[in-house]
Amino acid sequence: MTIATESRNSANTAANAQSFVLLHVGETRYALTADIVAELAPPVRLHSFPHTSPLVTGVIVRRGRIVPVYDAGPVLAGKSFSAHRFYLVARRAFGAAQELSAIPVNGDCELATGEVQPAQLDRHPCVCGTLQVGAESVDVLDFETLVSSLPLQREGDPAAAQGGVQPSARNNSQRNVHPEPQP
Amino acid sequence: MKIAVQESLLPHRSRRPEQAIVFSVAHQEFAIAAESVQEIRSADSLASTAIELEYVALPKVRHTVERAHHTYYVVNAGVHFSLPISRPTLVLIMRQLRVAVLVDRIERMGEISGVFPLPRAFAGDERRWYRGLAYLEDHVIPVVRPSGFLTDEEFQLLDRATLASAVPMEQRDGAAPA
Repeated sequence: MTIATESRNSANTAANAQSFVLLHVGETRYALTADIVAELAPPVRLHSFPHTSPLVTGVIVRRGRIVPVYDAGPVLAGKSFSAHRFYLVARRAFGAAQELSAIPVNGDCELATGEVQPAQLDRHPCVCGTLQVGAESVDVLDFETLVSSLPLQREGDPAAAQGGVQPSARNNSQRNVHPEPQP
Repeated sequence: MKIAVQESLLPHRSRRPEQAIVFSVAHQEFAIAAESVQEIRSADSLASTAIELEYVALPKVRHTVERAHHTYYVVNAGVHFSLPISRPTLVLIMRQLRVAVLVDRIERMGEISGVFPLPRAFAGDERRWYRGLAYLEDHVIPVVRPSGFLTDEEFQLLDRATLASAVPMEQRDGAAPA
């Protein structure tokens, strides 16, 4: 009887197993459900222009489409990682519509299969579960929650958590607030 | 998941080509439909007709200019887009709007293959600022919406401030004119 039960449990586990893409944000590995991942794009030019949407760093051009790029670093680690040059392109839902979105990764992405366990309570709200990969426990990210999160507030930079115009002005302590030359 | 090769060309079928002016502010390029610009003047040439606003209701608008019996609010594009300090040298006078825009310089004029919708990821003020994005010479450039420089509320605010500054000081203080 015991053997039969184990067999049934194994079958259930296999049925519940999902595929994930493992990616690095900084030194930490995270998992993203493979269902929404479209491709791992090579380093391409990031085009940036003024805007006020938090986390969005600009756009890349992929397969004839303009794809917005979100920086996951400020949400997950409180800082951006400039070494990330590849882009993991995933589908984001906007109601019934879908839009391709990209997050910078370092290129070391893997596929893994497993069953998601509940997330630890101290995790960021964008972590929706845990995946056991070998001896490592990897946080599973909810992409929608991740890209709609506000950046973690950094010391001395309250604007980071409140949005503000990006990207050009954020990198410059001087703003165009003094009187302009008279036309 | 697949690892794909680099690709940069955008298909532009079903997009309407249009003439555009590419201008820059603080080293940031923007495009604007040529048909929405009535006139491009140097800031110096308009200095004689510029009037400094007594009340600065909006930091991005500090002057008005008179052109052909019309008054235009001069919007500093650098302040509008919260860009670093720059030195604007040109004024784009909009057609059918009471807006003139201070920009650093004109980069080029030419045809853009079409305007692509701004991705939904952009959900802030930029949806009002831009009509969309253009792909021009391997650059993705925002195409500005002329009506996005000043909202109706901002026009009303400026109109009230301009009107108030035109009222003589004695009347503003509530005293009867002598």
